[in-house]
Amino acid sequence: MSVDYHQLLRDSLTRLPTVAATIDSVRKAVQDRGEIVILYFNFDRYSKVEEVYGWEKLDSVLETTGEAMRDFLSKSPLSSSRLMVAFPNDDDFVFFHVPQDDTPAATDAEITELTAGLKEAVSSQIERVHGEDIAALFDIFVGRSLVVYNPKLRLERQIYRGIREAANASKSLEHREQAKKLSDLRETLRDRGLYIEYHPIVITDSQKVFGYEALARGTMRSMRSPEVMFEIAAQSDLIWDLSRLCRERAIEGMGKLLKDGELLFMNVDPADFADPSFDVNTLNVKDPARVVIEITERTAIKDYPKFRGRLREFRDKGYRFAVDDAGSGYAGLGSIANLEPDFIKLDMSLINCIDQNFIKQNLVETMVRFANEHGAMVIAEGVERKEEYEMVKSLGVHLVQGFFVHKPSTSAVTYRPPIHPAPALAEGAK
Amino acid sequence: MADISHPPILVVDDNPDNAHIIRDYLEARGFPITVAYNGDDALKAFEEVKPSLVLLDVMMPGRDGWQVCRDIKQHPTLGRNVRVVMVTALDDWVNKRQALQTGADDFVEKPFELSRLAATVERNVKLLVPSTVAGAPGSAPTR
Repeated sequence: MSVDYHQLLRDSLTRLPTVAATIDSVRKAVQDRGEIVILYFNFDRYSKVEEVYGWEKLDSVLETTGEAMRDFLSKSPLSSSRLMVAFPNDDDFVFFHVPQDDTPAATDAEITELTAGLKEAVSSQIERVHGEDIAALFDIFVGRSLVVYNPKLRLERQIYRGIREAANASKSLEHREQAKKLSDLRETLRDRGLYIEYHPIVITDSQKVFGYEALARGTMRSMRSPEVMFEIAAQSDLIWDLSRLCRERAIEGMGKLLKDGELLFMNVDPADFADPSFDVNTLNVKDPARVVIEITERTAIKDYPKFRGRLREFRDKGYRFAVDDAGSGYAGLGSIANLEPDFIKLDMSLINCIDQNFIKQNLVETMVRFANEHGAMVIAEGVERKEEYEMVKSLGVHLVQGFFVHKPSTSAVTYRPPIHPAPALAEGAK
Repeated sequence: MADISHPPILVVDDNPDNAHIIRDYLEARGFPITVAYNGDDALKAFEEVKPSLVLLDVMMPGRDGWQVCRDIKQHPTLGRNVRVVMVTALDDWVNKRQALQTGADDFVEKPFELSRLAATVERNVKLLVPSTVAGAPGSAPTR
């Protein structure tokens, strides 16, 4: 496809210029002032956002990011400087700060302070627009480098080297932070510093609570997001320990929270089934029929017969199973059927804007039919808008979970009947 | 001034007979139609015409429909203002999942009935917001 030059010079998502577009205008300033500070903004988990929610979501998150950054920086002492993206549609940002004649260049300490403010500003904007799950994945590392003008060297090259240096600095910050997070995780495991938020799953039509999904949250701020905790645990071989703690905590809260007939949905990684301490006899559950074990479709199951054997042990005791993130991969319905689930939780990407996408509607309809034939129930998670709720309802989805009905919380919810009576089945949806 | 209920449509099919049947049928229903017979021409036409809807055949020599859909949907300036309907025998879960991954909005199963095609076009046109209908400035981003 032919690419217009203006597309190389300005990023359409963030509406920021690219480095290529800016370098010429910066040249003179650098020559006059003699130095330039380059900041490199490295958004740590944006690749994760893309992996989980798809590229459209990250595009939209980047749009918010660019806006929030522009807004924040315009009110900062660096307002006269230029913010840009390294490349169009990339997810890192570069910032050229050419100090004014009478002011010294920003110091490391000032940058640290600026970073903290910026992090807060961008993450709260992301939370407002995209919800707290995505905001919890947000992390930013800012690397700094100073380029001092040297007429013997070509200016562009000095600037490109400066960008690389700042990028490396941001990476090493990220590594330092990683090490700190690992020590936070160890502390969390030692002190059992974890609490559970319960996210209601409701019956689609009546919106009565059917059960709760247990979501682990670390008490330390850096450990708030389960994704972050599990990512660090996976890198340091602590998955079993973390999973064990999460399970114990979730089950502890069951007695207080669950009313008659309500179920507890508990996430278990297929890798946990290899943990010798994860056993039907060691789980402190009084009534296994009240517990649904969620297995994510994202983790490849290597040894199916063995895995099914382990599932059987739990099933025989009365535990039930849900396939989480169903439809996220290309595996199709066969692999879901293999697990004989009682519940099928649809991947969030299928629910996001389902009212506007007819392929998603068709897939969800297929899944509902499949579930009905196999005696399972379908759960739509990530239902955030009324339109999404109405659509999954018209498609026959049995259960619903998402901010549209309830947010996760540490306590049980009071039943609120739907405000609007249910409309008749949408014609076009069937 | 663009007619909001009849925005321009790009029809892409390497089989001229198919393409012309669709063109004539939709033109008769009041839609301005542009036709392209391969992936590369489709992308050129897409940038020129800035259609609101693309009907895209999947099986084409060279750049196939999946690739074209991805390129259209990820187009830096026009990508978000267009709906793409894949014209294909999307018969199973995997195929439909793949269609979603490329950014497609809808599909018509092949071989299609013209009335079904019209219904599909109509339901997608209904979801276009007025500002995304071609004729509205969609290209040059402004600060």
